[in-house]
Amino acid sequence: MLLRQKRNKDAGGLWARLRFPRWERALRPELTLSAFAWLVILFFIVYPVSLLVIDSFRVASTGRLGFQNYKAFFSDLYYFNTFVRTCLLSALVLLTTTVLALPLAYILARYKLRGMTFFTALTLLPIVLPAYAGAFAWVVFFGRFGTFNLLLMQWGLISKPLNLLGFPGLVIMQSLHLLPFMVLSLMAAYTSIDPALEEAAEVEGASGVRRFFTITLPLSTPSYLAGAVLVFLWPFTDWLTPLIFGVTDLLPTTAYINIAYHFTDVTRRYMGIVSVVMASAVCVGAFLLLKTWVERKRYTGLSKGTLLGGRTIKPTFAVRMLSYLYVFFISAIILIIPVVLALSGFSRRWVLTPFPRYWTLENFRLIFAEAGMLIYNSFRFTGVALLMGVSFGLLVAYLLARTNAPGRAGLEFVNSLMLVFPGVAVGVAFLRAFWYGHGIPLATHWIIMPLALFVRRLPYFLRMAYAAYQQLDPSLEEAAEVAGAGKFRTFATISVPLLLKGIFVGVIMFFIMAFQEISTAIFLYRGGWETLPIGLYLNWHRGMEFGIASAMAFLMVCIVFVLLAIAARIGGGILKVAWGASGRD
Amino acid sequence: MLALVGVVSSAQQKVVWIGPIYKELAESLTRGFKDYYLRTYGEPIEVTFIRPGGWPVCVDKVREWGGQPDADVFLGSGAPAHRLLQNLGLTVPYKHAHWEAIPAEWHGMMVKDPDGYWSAFAPWLVSNMYNEPVLNMFNLPVPQTWEDLLDPRYRGLVAMCLPYASGTMHEVCEIILQYYGEKDGWAYLRYLGAQVGRWTTGSTDTTHMVTRGEYPIGIAQPQMNAMVARRDGYPVGNLVPNVTILVPESAALLKNAPNEKNAKIFLDWLYSEEGQKYVLMGGYFPARSDISLSAWAAEGITMANHAINALGGKDNFWQLELELLNYDLALAESRWDFVNKYFEEEIYRKWDELKNTLTQIEQVEAEIKRVANSRDVSEALALVAQARALFGEGNLAEARATAEKARAALK
Repeated sequence: MLLRQKRNKDAGGLWARLRFPRWERALRPELTLSAFAWLVILFFIVYPVSLLVIDSFRVASTGRLGFQNYKAFFSDLYYFNTFVRTCLLSALVLLTTTVLALPLAYILARYKLRGMTFFTALTLLPIVLPAYAGAFAWVVFFGRFGTFNLLLMQWGLISKPLNLLGFPGLVIMQSLHLLPFMVLSLMAAYTSIDPALEEAAEVEGASGVRRFFTITLPLSTPSYLAGAVLVFLWPFTDWLTPLIFGVTDLLPTTAYINIAYHFTDVTRRYMGIVSVVMASAVCVGAFLLLKTWVERKRYTGLSKGTLLGGRTIKPTFAVRMLSYLYVFFISAIILIIPVVLALSGFSRRWVLTPFPRYWTLENFRLIFAEAGMLIYNSFRFTGVALLMGVSFGLLVAYLLARTNAPGRAGLEFVNSLMLVFPGVAVGVAFLRAFWYGHGIPLATHWIIMPLALFVRRLPYFLRMAYAAYQQLDPSLEEAAEVAGAGKFRTFATISVPLLLKGIFVGVIMFFIMAFQEISTAIFLYRGGWETLPIGLYLNWHRGMEFGIASAMAFLMVCIVFVLLAIAARIGGGILKVAWGASGRD
Repeated sequence: MLALVGVVSSAQQKVVWIGPIYKELAESLTRGFKDYYLRTYGEPIEVTFIRPGGWPVCVDKVREWGGQPDADVFLGSGAPAHRLLQNLGLTVPYKHAHWEAIPAEWHGMMVKDPDGYWSAFAPWLVSNMYNEPVLNMFNLPVPQTWEDLLDPRYRGLVAMCLPYASGTMHEVCEIILQYYGEKDGWAYLRYLGAQVGRWTTGSTDTTHMVTRGEYPIGIAQPQMNAMVARRDGYPVGNLVPNVTILVPESAALLKNAPNEKNAKIFLDWLYSEEGQKYVLMGGYFPARSDISLSAWAAEGITMANHAINALGGKDNFWQLELELLNYDLALAESRWDFVNKYFEEEIYRKWDELKNTLTQIEQVEAEIKRVANSRDVSEALALVAQARALFGEGNLAEARATAEKARAALK
């Protein structure tokens, strides 16, 4: 600290002065950078979201502001029910993921079993798979005359098909998608508990079960809650999976339908905006609640901290077999997604038979020949967003990790908030803020697409960059500065190369998440700007050929999988990469 | 050289269409017209097709342009859309070269505008769709009439969307309301609502549900959807109900069209025999009364065979024998928004309650039937009939209470 202040005073060596202008020091760089970061956030987050909130108070008949929309929302039994049903869905999804994840996380974190790395990777896969890809696969496999029902009927186990879509199906689908978040949170909890505490319980004579419920479980609560909030909030932001499952009376789905199909009915549009704002309010509220609660409740105790990896247990033969069985079961359900998408993508007219009968490459030919634009757009928009994300993310990570510039806490807060903020809200807000007649018509240019991706997905990069910064010893940078290098030069020649690994993983995570984004893009795209996810949605929504949509989903899964493998290789294991992604949408 | 390129590109021939037609038709027409233009005028033409959504959205878009449109031709949608455009002064009359080949009216419904504002290029009937193997698996017959659809055995097996999400679904509501009268029409729609197993996001989504076999019956389907699905190998059939209307899918010239000359060339081509073939190959029925599908089939146009099958062996769409509803277009126009809103509020949003109430009434009826031989059930029967009437009026709480009274009267 002393060192740094000294440097600021005597202004470094001649070298730095020659290469880098005086204004850099004169203007207190961190203040300038902080101001710039805040300007970006004000312009691209605060300004559009404020307009959205204001719009939710606009009365359709007069165009003035008032509370009528909210009154209508709470007095109209329909809207109130969508709200209640969304809460119910959230609760059920949370319950299901918790029940599924408790043993799974325990097995993965505590038991040293052969092949567990592979299964860990597999169970974490849904975190990077687009939710809608899973939904498509589910519809094909578990539909009324999908593979599952047809096989059961062939084997004579049932006489009439079971209805596995609808609300219960939605609960299972969303739980499956969110399972990794829960598993990761619980694994974090299990591995961070001081082994001494559990050992003490055992020495005192507590059985395995008793130890789990009296020591392990209470100690894992804060970590669990961090995952639980993400899981609970997902149904408040996901509109597409319910739509594919035919469940429309949920808050985000109602919001999407009302806004996207309002036609000339302005009231419908405003009610849609109210729904979006309500969903966002729930997300922000729950997020704030969690933050204050966890900060107050963190069990630090007298624990001396733990080794990475925590305590491992050698299970008995029976427990080992049961563990394998359970992990196989979960992995098999998850594997249904890529397998079914592949079957459907490489076939046509696959209906009313358990497996396709007509194999073809036609779907992929069509995607590449006629829908090459989609792939091009996806890479173009994601690429540009990535450039924005990396330059801005590095700057913010630097501010957070290395300076005491004012407004740091706020920067971090807004960024983590974007993880839980509904994509529909961002899309509608952008359309409202950057269209003709409301100021800056950015949305008439394609740049709005990468901008929206940048705003939504920045946290994924920022987390990685921030973590990398924290691991980088500041004395290395200070040494460079003492030796006379300016701040920017130090950053470029010392920090960046050392941060590269962490940054690279962040780049890939950002890319994966931006590549599959649809909730925001669906509101902003115009003819010619369609991305792969939008093409997929439109093919499902308007088209007759399910195979093309499946082929697109399969293609996305492949791209994501390759990127993930690269990230895991560079980032030192799948788990580390998954940490970066845990906290999405 | 650069200057030359500049001249050529600025002189590039263009035509822009806006409308709600399906992608496949737009692609077929683009292909055909580009080919025709190059062949006839010796230079290429650039075709742009804008499809912002269903027809209300398309009309909104044209209205937004305020008389200075970015398109030349309004391509697709039936009489209501074109009447609206005409009344707003957004289209101009143009009698294309084959005007006489399009019938003026058919079973009492207009097929073209007498003043030349619009004319049908691809007619179709509002119909429903069914998936035969799936109905077989449930041991259910194919429903033939609107009444058949209310059979409790079809409950939960019907897919349909809201009238605001699809012009075709709106027409279904209007057909029902005009055929049964407003009071009985809404009662019918409530019963139909109780049959629904899934609300779809639009009529194409419905098509999808039926072709995939997820739901065996889909309400509100353009007639040619089943034809196209069958061509693609799906086991679906077309269900032309006992009462229906014609949708004269039409084209019109927009006022102040930036490429008016090319727009007129396109319209002349669209109604020519060649243009009509591309309509058929795009998955719609051709509109000219002087064409023979079997002759086209003999020429090797495979789609013609599918069309003949879809039309029950007829050689031309207009040879279909059926009776159409005496459709009151003015009435339909006057209550357009009301029908959409009322349907959503009274049927879609009360869906669960509708189903529960109807199930309760049916349970009481079953109880009455069980004891009908052993005692006098006339009071209970009268009460349960009253409950059904209340259900039809949308008085659901009272309907349930009355059903319970009927049950009590049995004791």
